[in-house]
Amino acid sequence: MLSPYDWNEAIRQRAEYIEERLAEGSPVVALSCREGILLATVRGTQRKLFEIYDRLAFAALGQQADIEALRLNAIDFAHAEGFARSPDDVTIGRVVAALSPAVKKAFGDPLAAPLVARSLFAEVGATPETDHFYALGYDGEFRAFRRLAVIAGSPTAEEQMRACLAEALGSGEIPSLREGRRHALRAWAAGWAARRSRGQKAEPAGEQDLDAVLGEALREGEVEMALLDRSTHRQCRFRVLREEETESERE
Amino acid sequence: MAALEHCPSGDFLDLLRRREHPFAVGAPVRPVETGQPLIEAHGTTVLAVKYAGGVLNVGDRRATSANAVMYDRAEKILEVDDTTLLAISGSYARALEVVRYLRHAFHYYRRTQLQEMSLEGKLSEVSRVVAQNVASAMSGLGAFLPVISVYDATRGEGRIFFYDGLGARFESEEWGAAGSGAERIRGAFDYILKTKGRFRDMSLDEALSEALVLLDIAAEMDAMTGGYDKVLPSAKAVSAAGIEHLPEERLREAVSRIRRGA
Repeated sequence: MLSPYDWNEAIRQRAEYIEERLAEGSPVVALSCREGILLATVRGTQRKLFEIYDRLAFAALGQQADIEALRLNAIDFAHAEGFARSPDDVTIGRVVAALSPAVKKAFGDPLAAPLVARSLFAEVGATPETDHFYALGYDGEFRAFRRLAVIAGSPTAEEQMRACLAEALGSGEIPSLREGRRHALRAWAAGWAARRSRGQKAEPAGEQDLDAVLGEALREGEVEMALLDRSTHRQCRFRVLREEETESERE
Repeated sequence: MAALEHCPSGDFLDLLRRREHPFAVGAPVRPVETGQPLIEAHGTTVLAVKYAGGVLNVGDRRATSANAVMYDRAEKILEVDDTTLLAISGSYARALEVVRYLRHAFHYYRRTQLQEMSLEGKLSEVSRVVAQNVASAMSGLGAFLPVISVYDATRGEGRIFFYDGLGARFESEEWGAAGSGAERIRGAFDYILKTKGRFRDMSLDEALSEALVLLDIAAEMDAMTGGYDKVLPSAKAVSAAGIEHLPEERLREAVSRIRRGA
């Protein structure tokens, strides 16, 4: 029979196993801008930013199969609900709350494979004050955020990214999309620089260092950005930003 | 959600079936037991004509039940996605449900599969919902027929498709029409083609004038079709630029052009 100690130990090992696999993941930044919600990351060949529903977007880092399972489940839930009731009833909070128990169950069940993924969900509102963000962990735990949300390979990296964004955004004015793109890439670099710095407090990198980190990363990867457009009349707010729209800030 | 199971094919009907949604599972249709079959009476006229650059759809706004006018602001030209218009005739309730279904089905496919559903795929999806409705329509409830207008980017032209009650699809060269008034004005379409040339060579405003005249003729011959005197019809166009909702102002100008005989 399993003792409580065994259970604790098993969970700890599972968490360690997952953290190890997440550590090298490319961070994702989501940020409320005046034009809408900007999502930004640097990717290899796989797409990382996805549309879930009319006003909802999703991004994750981790293992592809698990990301795909989360993405498809979120889309299934959103569309079944949107059709059964109305598109206005599909909110990001409901989608995350619907996914969370299954993720927690997979994590806690010693006979099931846990989901190796950290995910970010965003919903664009009519104004930046009504934008919603959620981060969902591999253990099913989720947190709501306002104005911005980040996911990265480690909690330390996420802290660095939030610190970087807090400094850039200052007193709380909502940035334009143009400013947002610059802030998002800086924050990405801060998170990327802090990867593998688990446990120990990394020194926040200076601006020049961040540019160097970004430049280095872009030799192999490419910038991917998407916008949940606040003002479009189209029903679907999500669009991937074209290359020329993402490049302007990287002089 | 007990486990993370999902529907990998991108088939929205399959998703609804798994969740036992009534749209997919279908309510059992009971044979009509009374001597009088239950027949919904719906009248309307919707029409689609090509113009240089795309397809224009015009529909009257009248909703009827038997010989009562229920509503004079019904919207019968509906956007399914950025390049697809659906004009409905027949059971309004069922048609609206089908449009809601198609909107979700097209988006669902695109979002799960990360690619746009092909035009052929979309047209088959429409066939499928029409065919699925046969049993219900045969019992006297919920019969509807759609006219689909799309902008085909690979060919660079607008295209019009219409369906029969069993879901067979036909492509039309110049125009499509459906509803109780449509049958009475078939000859008028031909007359325009033979005396004024092809619709696809007309400008949007020329096509709009012709379409409004056709609708007015339908309204005169069919009591269940509203014309343009009391309430302006709805008019939408689909072209390379997407779907354009023609404003009332433009329709009012077209109507006054017709009245002046210009």
